[in-house]
Amino acid sequence: MTAPALRFDGVAKYYESEGTRVAALDGITLDFAAGRFVALVGRSGCGKSTLLNLAGAMDLPSAGEVWIGGQAASRLSDGQLTALRRHRIGFVFQFFQLMPTLPVVENVELPALLAGLPGAREKALEKLRWVELESLAGRYPHQLSGGQAQRVAIARALVNSPSLLLADEPIGNLDTATGTVVLELLRRAAREQGALVVMATHSHESTQYCDRVVRLRDGHVESAG
Amino acid sequence: MARLFLRLIVRPLTADKVRSVLMALAVTLGVAVVVAIDLASDAAAGSFRASMESLTGNSEIEVTATGGIDEALYVKLATLPVALQWTPRLEGYAEVAATRAVVPLIGLDLTQPPPDLKKVDQASSSTDLLADPRSIWASRGLGWKPEQTVRLTINDRTAEYTVRGVFDARDQVIAMDIGAAQQAMGKPARLDRIEASLPRSAPDPAAWIARLRAEVPAGVEVRSRGLAQEQNKKMLTGFRWNLRALSYISLVVGGFLIYNAIAVSVVRRRAEIGIIRALGMTRGQVLTLFLGEAALFGLVGGALGLALGRVMAEGAVKMLGATVEALYVSSRPGEIAFDAAIVAKAFAIGLAASLLAALAPAREASQVAPVEAMARGHRQHQARLHLGRRFAFGLAAVALALFAYRQDAIDGQPVFGYASVFLAVAANAWFMPAAVVAISRLLDGAALRLLGIEGHLAARSLWASVDRTAVLASALATAIAMFVAVGLMVGSFRETVATWMEGQLQADLYLRAAAGGGAGRYPTVSADVPEAIRGIDGVEAIDRFRVYEINYNNKPALLGGGDTSVVRISRRTSFMPGQDRDAILCKMAKGGDHCIVSEPFANKHNVRAGDLLRVPLGGKTATFEVLGIYFDYSSERGYIITDRTTLMRYLPDPAISSLAIYLRPGADAEAVRRRIETATAGRSLAIFSNRSLREEALRIFDRTFAITWALEAVAILVAVLGVAGALLALVIDRRREMALLRFLGAAARQVSRLILCEAALLGLMANAAGLALGYAMSFVLIYVINKQSFGWTMNFHWPVTLLLTALLLIYVATILAALYPARIAARLNPIEVIHEE
Repeated sequence: MTAPALRFDGVAKYYESEGTRVAALDGITLDFAAGRFVALVGRSGCGKSTLLNLAGAMDLPSAGEVWIGGQAASRLSDGQLTALRRHRIGFVFQFFQLMPTLPVVENVELPALLAGLPGAREKALEKLRWVELESLAGRYPHQLSGGQAQRVAIARALVNSPSLLLADEPIGNLDTATGTVVLELLRRAAREQGALVVMATHSHESTQYCDRVVRLRDGHVESAG
Repeated sequence: MARLFLRLIVRPLTADKVRSVLMALAVTLGVAVVVAIDLASDAAAGSFRASMESLTGNSEIEVTATGGIDEALYVKLATLPVALQWTPRLEGYAEVAATRAVVPLIGLDLTQPPPDLKKVDQASSSTDLLADPRSIWASRGLGWKPEQTVRLTINDRTAEYTVRGVFDARDQVIAMDIGAAQQAMGKPARLDRIEASLPRSAPDPAAWIARLRAEVPAGVEVRSRGLAQEQNKKMLTGFRWNLRALSYISLVVGGFLIYNAIAVSVVRRRAEIGIIRALGMTRGQVLTLFLGEAALFGLVGGALGLALGRVMAEGAVKMLGATVEALYVSSRPGEIAFDAAIVAKAFAIGLAASLLAALAPAREASQVAPVEAMARGHRQHQARLHLGRRFAFGLAAVALALFAYRQDAIDGQPVFGYASVFLAVAANAWFMPAAVVAISRLLDGAALRLLGIEGHLAARSLWASVDRTAVLASALATAIAMFVAVGLMVGSFRETVATWMEGQLQADLYLRAAAGGGAGRYPTVSADVPEAIRGIDGVEAIDRFRVYEINYNNKPALLGGGDTSVVRISRRTSFMPGQDRDAILCKMAKGGDHCIVSEPFANKHNVRAGDLLRVPLGGKTATFEVLGIYFDYSSERGYIITDRTTLMRYLPDPAISSLAIYLRPGADAEAVRRRIETATAGRSLAIFSNRSLREEALRIFDRTFAITWALEAVAILVAVLGVAGALLALVIDRRREMALLRFLGAAARQVSRLILCEAALLGLMANAAGLALGYAMSFVLIYVINKQSFGWTMNFHWPVTLLLTALLLIYVATILAALYPARIAARLNPIEVIHEE
């Protein structure tokens, strides 16, 4: 039996607020298999983004352990966490977060260059072809529509062929038709690239594209799907 | 509006303390330098009074002549049936042996002392004491006590003098009775000046001057007493103008940085501006808000700059005083006058520089439409589209700068030269956006290869923020350019002087009176000294040189006489192209009414070879034919040189100012020097070797330009501080990008390296542009401003080591300035930043 692509083992995350401890997440135990498209749903403040940050090795749990590709995040050094993010994880954000100073193709190749991988440009063009935006490779972010920008962001997240793709409200800023295209792409990323795609969303409609739906409520798992 | 100003402008500034402080500091330093130079140059020259202006009483008219006046003229004037009160004066300097301080020594008729001298602590008007050649009266400023014995060197003689009384004057000055002074100074039966006080019944000096001119022989001048002082002031005008112009460089650099700060503020708050516009704020109000931000920097910078400038003026006045003393005239700096005018000026220039710099970005803020605020990156795109137009402005500025370069001075001032420099700076600023794009593109590939992805991102970021990058690069480039230009000018000047000295200073030993020399001080050596030296074993030839200060065409100049036949054989005096050195010196050595003039003299008085100069000398007016114009860097006032025999015909005082001694081949210079010292025992003489004289000359040269380097250093400091502030703003503005990079796999040190790479590329652009601009500007400084202000020809010379070292240091400083912003960037919390939206 292979290890899960992502595993939360009794994870808690606390914040200090005005002298009192607030639990953003508490007692989270979840396993996620590779090649699946998982939706994380719940109200604002239920802990979706915190869970994504932990999954993305951007933050460490206050208690418990997060296993990413079989590696315990809290046991890794800062440099190892950075390496993990570079090679194993891709991020997609609600507001696209493209670098305004770089044209589309350079935005996409950026993670490969940061990771020092060879053939960054070819990989970037390949991913742009995959999201059907190769023709816009030379444009700047401000010259793109919202849907196009999010597809570029997905291409960028996939350029290092990560095993884990984390999407935080990826269609929260898009109309329904464009949102559908983006959801399709995320589903294809799971199916065709074999990545585990974890998407935090408010939208119940979007969950129909997913293989599994995890519901969070006040920092706890309400249902694990 | 005040509340809005507090919320929208002051609050963000207080939240962003480090950047606000850096910007305020940039204006502060800019204002401080202008204030310091203003105060110091006023003290060193503005309230300038030649040290000889002590004890002048209330006289309005003076009678003078080059080489002094025969005492008989005083007798003649004093017996004229007119209601004038006459005061004869003899003027010189004494060096205090204990302190080596050089103090004005004035001979007066102490039987009828001027008002200052009447308030004496221990009045000793006994005729015996007055006539005693060792009696002196000292000003309170010297700190001496009555009956104290003081050892003084006057010309080439040192002796003990007794203080007979102390009079109430803050200046340092020594008075003697005129008879005793004539004896001490070796000027028997001579006077330097006769002053006249006018009667109240007929106070018009012009009428008296006209009347008295008829009573004095040709060559004796009757003039208003303040005229010499005015001429001295005028002589300093060029020096002060150049210094002032230089002091404004820091302010210009500060202006660029204010422009950048306000532009950043506008870009950063576009969304806010859109919102407040939508809520009903008018364009005028938005304009006022951002001009208010600039005014705040201007006011704070003005106030702090005023205080700092006052402190800096103390140091500057010492440096300037030394320069004035070394190059122009023996003087003492006045008090630093800190008055309402300088306070008003500090605030005015602080505000003007800030408001002027902020006008364009503030206008842009006022034109923001609410919808525009939403499209980030739009503005930079527009800026790229305007590159062509800016480039065209740059070309126009270059054309105007070239036009200004070719224009003559206005009233002796290189106004067009300054305009040319200003236009070159403007052209550079207009070219900069295109240069930023071109250089960024050019360096992009290299940056990726050499510096990795951080270098690539830095190049892209600079290119994408072309507006901001261009302003920062312009600010730094302006400071660097001025540094390079002044470095080239001073380096060329120094090299030219060194080469000139090589030809001019050919003697093995030089001798002058030990009493301190300097500009306006020419202590003399008795005529028997050269005769004693001539016969010493090992001495081949001597060149006796005598110099007088003269007034030519209402401008101070110098008249010298030397042994031309010795000069012809021994020195390599070089003349203007086309002038035959040997023929000129041969003709001059014959002792006719011929002269040669130095280049600054020729330029100041528009004199050419073949012209006739009418020079009032002693009791006559001499007419000298100019045989040639020679290169000389020893005096800005300019020299007229005749043969010694010619000079002696008009001014028969055989004392000399200096002596050049040429030794026989193989003679031991040290042994000859000892023989000279033995032969002249009892005289206070200073003997220099050729090498030490050259070293001393270059030491004075370097000291003269110390203030220039200090001003340059401040301008560069302002620029580097500005870069630090601007990079900090950049980090704050682009924190979302930095956070994103962390999400995309960048390590914290990669983000930090990105900022350092931006600083490195910015520094590279500024250095390249500064070097190019500085090179162009150095031509204006050397061939226009220097030539029109001082009249010197310089040979272009690159002080390579100095420039390269300085540029490297500036480059390192620029990168160091980025360390703090880089640290901030590396410490950003990516989760917080990315979720701000």
